[in-house]
Amino acid sequence: MNKKYDAIIIGAGVIGCPIAYELAKMGYKTLNVDKNSDAGLGSTAATCAIIRAHYSTEDGVAMAYEGMKYWKDWENYLGGVKDEKGLAKFMNTGSILLKSKGHDWRKVKKNYDAVGVQYEDWSVERVVKAAPVYDLHEHWPVRRPEDSEFWNESTGMLEGALYCPEGGYVNDPVLSTHNMMRATQAHGGEFLFNVEVVAVRSEANQVKGITLKDGSQFDAPVVVNVAGPHSFKINQMAKGVWEGCNIKTKALRHEVMHCPSPEGYNYYGDGYHTSDADLGIYYRPEVGNMFLIGSEDPKCDPKVYPDPDDFYAGKGGAGEDNQLSEAQWKAQCYRLGRRVPTLRVPNQPRGVVDLYDCSDDWIPIYDKSDMKGFYMAIGTSGNQYKNAPVVGAMMAELIDACQKGLDHDANPFQYKLKYLPRSFNVGFFSRKREINTNSSFSVNG
Amino acid sequence: MPFKIYVCVKHVPDSAANITILDKTRIEEKITFIINPFDENAIEEAVQLRSKVGDAEVVAVTIGKPAAVETLRSAMAMGADRGIHVVTGDPPDSIATARALKAAILADGAPDIIFTGKGSIDSEGFQTMFRLGAALGVPAANNVASFRLEGRTATVESELEAGGRAVIRMPLPCVIGAGKALNKPRYPILPDIMKARKKPIRTVPMESLDIGTPPASVQLIELRPFSDRRQAKLIPGPVEKAVEELVRLLREEAKVI
Repeated sequence: MNKKYDAIIIGAGVIGCPIAYELAKMGYKTLNVDKNSDAGLGSTAATCAIIRAHYSTEDGVAMAYEGMKYWKDWENYLGGVKDEKGLAKFMNTGSILLKSKGHDWRKVKKNYDAVGVQYEDWSVERVVKAAPVYDLHEHWPVRRPEDSEFWNESTGMLEGALYCPEGGYVNDPVLSTHNMMRATQAHGGEFLFNVEVVAVRSEANQVKGITLKDGSQFDAPVVVNVAGPHSFKINQMAKGVWEGCNIKTKALRHEVMHCPSPEGYNYYGDGYHTSDADLGIYYRPEVGNMFLIGSEDPKCDPKVYPDPDDFYAGKGGAGEDNQLSEAQWKAQCYRLGRRVPTLRVPNQPRGVVDLYDCSDDWIPIYDKSDMKGFYMAIGTSGNQYKNAPVVGAMMAELIDACQKGLDHDANPFQYKLKYLPRSFNVGFFSRKREINTNSSFSVNG
Repeated sequence: MPFKIYVCVKHVPDSAANITILDKTRIEEKITFIINPFDENAIEEAVQLRSKVGDAEVVAVTIGKPAAVETLRSAMAMGADRGIHVVTGDPPDSIATARALKAAILADGAPDIIFTGKGSIDSEGFQTMFRLGAALGVPAANNVASFRLEGRTATVESELEAGGRAVIRMPLPCVIGAGKALNKPRYPILPDIMKARKKPIRTVPMESLDIGTPPASVQLIELRPFSDRRQAKLIPGPVEKAVEELVRLLREEAKVI
């Protein structure tokens, strides 16, 4: 007899855990399975865990702002559960969105106003007062150091910034995921690690369960794909599911750099998370007084979509494997060097490389599928960490409603946010949608 | 005549890179290469010496494939005034390297002092700097942890394997093999990197140098991976016990502390 559950969640990362947590709270007997040895050790381990509210759509802003409220209230969200490793901490640095040609900040401002996000409109002088190491010359369009024009002197200035005082980052994304696992377990949820799903079983288009590489089988009327960069592989295992998605996902390689703060400047203590589309990067403080430098995926940068199994096995060589590449190290650090001319750039690259589970329009798919009982929370595209607790609650309610007979494709589920006084059309994240042209088509979402 | 400081630097694979061996004796070079980390200490000491001496020039010298120019740019971003690139195909052994460095340096000028790293992190032969000293007929000290120059006399402390230090006094010119303890290499900032792009590099084909016929040579027979996969080890239990166990493993098994 196969062991039976009410819901099996494939993946125990930062999205899989809160979905299990919310389902377990609703009384579902859940099982999370994961290839890694503990919660949050897949691509979650490499997230920059930025908590910001600026998104290109009003719903995106609302969801992120809602998420921010959860992170600020972390202990309560976890229901007071104890984690022997301690609790993750929200680092409230404030978030600067530099006004530039690279970011439609007017749209963000409109969305902030519509949602009621607290923000301040900052002049160039105000930004420099807050972050004295910043040089606010304009460098648009984004270029690579291999392009000789990258080295041209700038003549213009940026316009200023939108400052969101509630933004920041979470100090330890793996720990935050572990916290959610412990909270799930407190409600009876189970976790199985070091296992690989090789089949999603179904009968008459109703999901039946999963089969693991060692042959063991687990049954459930609900299976949720939260496999991160492996999401497309899991969808392909479920008959007709991948074909039934209008929006597809694939694994996109992404590098994040660590550079020491300028001499004499305490970025870790005094610095801000900053989105800098003028240079195609974002940055935030990191332990050791470092700048952590992420990329906003500017058009001039190569996009590499490796097979996730090859990638994690270290195959493919520079620019394709799981090690930093010299070219991208220079690109991201030198770009920040434009904004922070006193930034020190070591000769040896330091940072992390991992994969985004990237959707066609960089907006996730939070949806049911064409197979009954099979759901997906995928395509997070590097921009959903902050939303994880909201996604957990929303997916659990969506799953419950669909299991009770809702035809979500015909009548999209309306999710009522817990903190903000508004509801959300979950159909926005449909697998059947056309590509959302309002998206930034980048990590900005 | 300015005081001439030469720094020999090597373009090496990043120690974090995934190394793939091709045809037994070569590696896949589509990986990240960096300036040899010990050579960063050499550059740093040279740049500090230049500012003490005043009328002095720091010249970075490398032997390598065309891509090694990147390492010269790194050296110049850290403060070297110019570069000499001896261009070669396959990497020469330490005997030929020392002879080629000597020929390239003497063709450029009369060295007052030569710095280099104590060894390279790729071949780890720890030969070249001694051979360079021998080829030039000047003294050499390796794994140098402190350096002082008074007049034309260098006083260095050389770290010994047993944990002691030998104090060595040498007349100039001499060859100094920099160790990690010598200094803390500076990290360049973007304006330094921009300046380095414009500093001159002289390119010298290896075959144009008269290095004679070395009496011996080293041939690489086969490269083998040291280990196929780094294996993480999880130390379970409460933090206090786990830390004790970690310290024991580092001391008794890894022997690094």
